Amino acid sequence: MGEVIVITSGKGGVGKTTTTANIGAALALAGKKVVLVDADIGLRNLDVVMGLENRIVYDLVDVVEKVCRLKQALIKDKRFEGLYLLPAAQTKDKTAVSPQQMQELCQQLKEEFDYVLIDCPAGIEQGFKNAIAGADSAIVVTVPEVSAVRDADRIIGLLAANELMDPKLIINRIRIDMVKRGDMMNIDDTIDILGIDLLGVVPDDEKVVISTNKGEPAVLDEGSLAGQAYRNIARRLMGENVPIMDLEMDEGFLAKLKRWFSMSKKRSY
Amino acid sequence: MNQSPVVFKGIKGGLKVYINADSDIEQIMGELEKKIKGSKHFFGNSQINLIFTGRRLTPQQQQNIVDLISREIEVGSITFEMANIGLPSADHFESFDGIEEGMTRFVRGTVRNGQRIYYEGNVVVIGDVNPGGEIIAGGNILVMGTLRGVAHAGATGNHNAVVVAFSLQPTQVRIGGIIARPPEDDAVKPSYPEIAYVKDNILVIEPYLPGKGK
Repeated sequence: MGEVIVITSGKGGVGKTTTTANIGAALALAGKKVVLVDADIGLRNLDVVMGLENRIVYDLVDVVEKVCRLKQALIKDKRFEGLYLLPAAQTKDKTAVSPQQMQELCQQLKEEFDYVLIDCPAGIEQGFKNAIAGADSAIVVTVPEVSAVRDADRIIGLLAANELMDPKLIINRIRIDMVKRGDMMNIDDTIDILGIDLLGVVPDDEKVVISTNKGEPAVLDEGSLAGQAYRNIARRLMGENVPIMDLEMDEGFLAKLKRWFSMSKKRSY
Repeated sequence: MNQSPVVFKGIKGGLKVYINADSDIEQIMGELEKKIKGSKHFFGNSQINLIFTGRRLTPQQQQNIVDLISREIEVGSITFEMANIGLPSADHFESFDGIEEGMTRFVRGTVRNGQRIYYEGNVVVIGDVNPGGEIIAGGNILVMGTLRGVAHAGATGNHNAVVVAFSLQPTQVRIGGIIARPPEDDAVKPSYPEIAYVKDNILVIEPYLPGKGK
């Protein structure tokens, strides 16, 4: 039985889709059987980022409405052994599926796959409720900006209200030079407010823009720092203990990070 | 935050029905129907007075509730109390007088953006209150962590209430009818616990441990 992980953020444009694509690809590279589910019905992007747009015949709504079988809608990514995509419908909207139907779909998918990654739409409305309905755990993506962190905080609260406790945090597009100058929120401040475990930090990397536009996940690029960060995140998801990449951070950060990890372990009284 | 959407409480001359402000209307109606049906025999033919509070309801939603209840049981009167919801005012509630010793609600965990804790007595948060989170209490507010959101102590008019936090960096602090916000240029975060209270109609913030922050 696999694990269903929803990748969410609240705010749009922080990199949910890119993160989904890259973690999925990295897990597949590590030999896992992975399916990426695009829950952003009506504004689908994951297929484009994966470069699989031209292979879509059936989509998630077709599966839910039983127009086709699940197997028919799954697109196999030929570059990665064991990586599949279930695209969103583009001509429908979020009301086309219900949380109940998403739960059934996830149940079906996790019987066959090691990881089911759900790319959640922005916002906290129907699309979000659908995306989290069948999830076993959650990853919250944020960027080091006050507004994104605010929204991430709101999302963490909503996840908890839906019994998705202890989500993991990815801080995306961090620019160490700006953090050093004090022009960008640092990792400590972000974790301090959100108070959840850090799963990874992804540096801002031009190569991601290039690879996204080409439809090739950045994890394929050995020279990409962001690609390396995503491969590390995938390893952590698989239970490996990989230290957070040294992005030229001062020692205070790593020391504090350690403290955070030890604090997050539940103490029994 | 996993409160039941509807809670019944006996009061003099009837029942008070507290509606959780965070629940959807469908959830509320469903739970209400279940509870009313489940306790039909309890209500019997006694003409009971019901007072609804805790959440703002539209006239249509109020009508739906009236319809639902009168279908199931005999009611004396149904009242909707909601003028006080949001920012409670002193003329609607009796001022809470338990700030020395009185009802207290303990909140475990962080109060996050979009969450509001509302309680007639004192509130203790064992965690942080993040920006966008709100605590509204009739009595004192104690935050055993960092207060970054809004805290309104003495919301029902008790100006002797206090706000205390291990780290006090609020968006706004209100005590009774007095509102204060931190100065714009306050770049240094205090690393010691602080207390906010009202002195001569001015909200004062100072450290409460001897030798700190001097």
